[in-house]
Amino acid sequence: MADTRDSRRQGVAVELTGVRKRYGGQAVLRGVDLRVEPGELLAIVGQSGTGKSVLLRQIIGLETPDAGRIVVGGVELPRYLATSPEEKPFRIAMVFQSAALLASLTVGENVALRLRERRRHDEAQIREIVARVLDQVELAGTEDKYPSQLSGGMRKRVAIARALAVDPELILYDEPTADLDPILTQQIGELIRRIKTEQGDTQVIVTHNLALARAIADRIAVLDAGRIVECKPPAELGKDGHTLTREFIRAAAFGIPGGA
Amino acid sequence: MAVEAVGEREREPGVLARLGTRVLEVLQILGEASELFVACVRASAFAPVDRQRVLAQMVRVGTDTLSIGALLSLFVGLVLVVQSADQLRDVNEGVLGPIVGLAMTKELGPVMMAFLLAGRAGSAMAAELGSMAVYDEINALRTMDIDPVRFLAMPRFVAATLCLPLLILYSDFIGVAGGAAVIGLDPAIKISVNEYFARMLEWVHFTDVIVGLVKGLVFGMIASVVPCTFGFRTHGGTEGIATSTTAAVVWSFILILVFDFLIVRASFSF
Repeated sequence: MADTRDSRRQGVAVELTGVRKRYGGQAVLRGVDLRVEPGELLAIVGQSGTGKSVLLRQIIGLETPDAGRIVVGGVELPRYLATSPEEKPFRIAMVFQSAALLASLTVGENVALRLRERRRHDEAQIREIVARVLDQVELAGTEDKYPSQLSGGMRKRVAIARALAVDPELILYDEPTADLDPILTQQIGELIRRIKTEQGDTQVIVTHNLALARAIADRIAVLDAGRIVECKPPAELGKDGHTLTREFIRAAAFGIPGGA
Repeated sequence: MAVEAVGEREREPGVLARLGTRVLEVLQILGEASELFVACVRASAFAPVDRQRVLAQMVRVGTDTLSIGALLSLFVGLVLVVQSADQLRDVNEGVLGPIVGLAMTKELGPVMMAFLLAGRAGSAMAAELGSMAVYDEINALRTMDIDPVRFLAMPRFVAATLCLPLLILYSDFIGVAGGAAVIGLDPAIKISVNEYFARMLEWVHFTDVIVGLVKGLVFGMIASVVPCTFGFRTHGGTEGIATSTTAAVVWSFILILVFDFLIVRASFSF
C-alpha cells in the first residue's frame, strides 16, 4: 500500500529475450534482448520510428509481442497480466508521451483514479496520498485544477504523480520530455532521478534526448532498426560503439535539438 | 526502363479486392460491436456500484435530447394532423386520433428519439471516446487495471438503454398533445379534441405502447454500443476522431432502421 511503503525497497527486474513485433509487413522489433536490473534507471534512445515506444507497450502489456519472452519481477508477463489487480505481486505504471490525463477529471481525481477504483483505501487515505505525491512532483495545491488549466510540463508531472500514487515497483516513461523546453526538461529529469534515489523503483525511459539520458540514467540502451545495438553506462557510451551511437553523440555535441 | 518501373510498382487493388476489403471491414465492425455489447451487458452488473457514473451519463443524455426532442415531437404531431386532415377532409377525420396515436407510439416516437439520441448523445460519445483513444487515455486506464468497458462504455450503455424508452413516452405525449392543439385551434378541422382522444384510445392498445418501448430499449443499446465501438477503435489524430464520429452516427441510423424492421416484423408474428 502506498502509505505504508518501505522506502528501502527495490524495484523489479525486467528481462526481454528475442522480442519481435511486426505491423503488417513491417518488422518494428527484430529480436530485442535486454535486462534491466532492480532499481536501475535505464534510458532507451534511438531515432524516431525505431520502435522505442512499441517496446514499452510490450513491457506493460498494451501489445503482445509476436515472438520472444518478457519477464518482469521473475514473473512471465502474460501470467502477470492475467493475475487480478489485488493479487499482483508488484505494480507497473506508465507515463505516456501525451500525459494521458482524463480531461473530464481534476488533477486530484486523475491522481486518485486507480486508488478509488480499487476501493481499498478510504477517502482520507486517498486524499493524503494524492497530497503527498503532488507535493513530491512540486504541484501541491493543484488538486482542483483541470488538465486544460495546466502547462505541458505540469501535465507531465501530474502524470508522474498518478504513476507514483499506485506505488509501482516499475515505472515506464514514454518520451517524458517531448515538447518541453530545456528548463522543464531538466526539472522532469531531476524529478525522475529523485524518484530513483528516494524510492528505488526500476525506471525505464524512452527518449530521443541523449543529453537527458546521459544526465540521469544508470545505463543507456541504443535501439536501432528494431534491435538493441549498445547498452552501457553513460560514461562508456560511444567508446568503440555503434555507428548510430556515435552519430547521436556527434549530434548532441553539435547542439541539434533533442541531441544537445 | 519505363516498363521495369511499372513492373516494380505495387499493383493497385482491383474492384473485387476493394469490395472484399470493405466487406471484411464491415464484418469486423459488426464483430467488435457485438463483442462490446456482450461486455457491456456483463459489466452492467456493476451499474449499482458505479451508479454515479451512470447517473451522470443519464443527465447528459437527458440534457442533450429533452429540449430538441420536445420541439421535434411537437412539430411532427402538428404536421401529422394538418397533413392527414387535408387528405381525410372528405373521407373521415375521425381517424386522425388513431393515426397520430399509432404513428407516434409505434414508429415515429421511437425512431425519432433514437435518431436524436444517436445524433446528439451518440456522436458526443464517439467523439469523447475517440479523443481518449487517440491521446492514450484509454491505454492509461488499462495500465491502471481499470476496465475501459466498465469505466467508459457501460455507464453510457445503461444510461441510453434506460433513458430512450422514457424519452419515447415523452415524445409520444408531446406529439399527441401537438396534434390535439391543431385540432382545437384549426377551424378547418371538424372533429373535436374529445373525439380525437376518444378514437385514439379506442385504437391504440397497451401492446402498441409496449412495442414502442421495446424498440426504445433496443435502439438505446444500438445508439450507445455503436458510438462506443467507433470511439474505442479511433486512431489517426483529430481526423480520425471526425471520421469515427460521422461513421458512428451513420452506422447507428442504419442499424436502428434494420432493427426497427425486425421488431415490427416480429411484433406481427405474435
